[in-house]
Amino acid sequence: MYYKAVIIGGSAGSFQVITRILHSLPPTFPLPVLLSLHRLKHIRSGFVEALSIKASIPIVEPFDKDQIKPGRAYLAPANYHMFIELGNKIALSTEEPVNHSRPSIDLSFATAAQVYREKLIGIILSGANRDGAYGLKKIKDLGGLAIVQDPAECQVKTMTEASLKLTKADHVFSTQEIIKFLQNIKSTAP
Amino acid sequence: MIRYEIGIVETRNVIKTILDTYGYDFRDYALTSFKRRLEHVIMNNGFKDADGLIDRLTNNKEYFDNFLCDITPETTEMFRDPSLWRTIRDEIIHDITKGSTKTKLWIAAFDSGEELFSLAVLLKEAGLLSEVQLYASVISEKTINKIKSGRIDARELEVNDANYVRFNGKYNFSDYYKIENGQAIFDTSLIQGVNFIKLNTVYDNVPGGIKLALFRNQIIYYNQILQDKVLNQLSNSVVPGGYMVLGVKETLENTGVSNRFTLYNDLEKIYKKKTT
Repeated sequence: MYYKAVIIGGSAGSFQVITRILHSLPPTFPLPVLLSLHRLKHIRSGFVEALSIKASIPIVEPFDKDQIKPGRAYLAPANYHMFIELGNKIALSTEEPVNHSRPSIDLSFATAAQVYREKLIGIILSGANRDGAYGLKKIKDLGGLAIVQDPAECQVKTMTEASLKLTKADHVFSTQEIIKFLQNIKSTAP
Repeated sequence: MIRYEIGIVETRNVIKTILDTYGYDFRDYALTSFKRRLEHVIMNNGFKDADGLIDRLTNNKEYFDNFLCDITPETTEMFRDPSLWRTIRDEIIHDITKGSTKTKLWIAAFDSGEELFSLAVLLKEAGLLSEVQLYASVISEKTINKIKSGRIDARELEVNDANYVRFNGKYNFSDYYKIENGQAIFDTSLIQGVNFIKLNTVYDNVPGGIKLALFRNQIIYYNQILQDKVLNQLSNSVVPGGYMVLGVKETLENTGVSNRFTLYNDLEKIYKKKTT
């Protein structure tokens, strides 16, 4: 099985997990990494810089219509929804918040699932609301791979437990196992 | 968030119906967000599916104005990006109003009222509200009436209030509205002189002589073809030395009008039209 993209959703308690994951990916990581993380809406700068300190791949806050490229991480900008559009592009939206969230993990995951279908890996991390549960189900329903961080390890379990309730995840992983899994992804294309 | 979803073929069918029946062209709207808006319209109006919407569009001409209002995403926040509004107040507004009468300012994006009221409050606090001519683009009569009544959906008043505080406004945000039956009604004297311009999707009838056009977070709903077409119209309406503002995650780079503007402020995406 080969994949075209990894999408990660997280909220409260996910920052350190994300940092560890981005730190341990090889610089030659063959897939794009899409990050839909809840964040303070009025603080536009600083987050990408904080994540970048230890990351081994470049992280950008994309502009609307940016082309998605492998080996880069795309962080949903503050106060925008981040969609994945046909043609492998980022599309941003200022539509009303979903699950009180903008960016909404559900929307990023569901639109990515439509584009990448069975070639998508979705990962839900620690978080304090249910956003993301529906999006992960959408990924699973369209044939993608659903991974949930082990709630026992999460600082806040609400998001991972809601996801596991809605979807039979392929893997329930610790942070270390998530890292190992991603490190073993070799290349995209046949 | 279990929601009703439609497919791409159905989305295209709705777009074709609208084009054939009303001449409004949504073919170059960005597909993902337009599909979502259609799902939103179908759910909120209790249509069974896309065919139900097509039926209504075909058989009830009065419904179309409602549709246009609902298909347009709401702005959802006043003083969104407070640092932009501070920049307009501190650097731009006096520059463009100095020595001229009835400076023309334009809320060019299809706004649900939030951008317009924010600009009007800024102008009022600068003592310039009666010195300018404000234009506002609207796509539906329903939206015009809603804005004129001051009943804009300020569901999250505390967000607007927090933005206003970050804007460093002169007064209290609550001075600008009153609550009636749980609904905020904004002070309509702020928008008394506004010229509402009804536009269709391709902006083929725009005002001229504009010194400041706010066009934030609208090209995100377009594909590249429509983006170039509409930006060209806007570019023609802005005077040399005038300003055009996009959303903070939108850019003129790689568009057909990029060589007609210089980037005045990168963080706020304020562009200034070249004089030659």
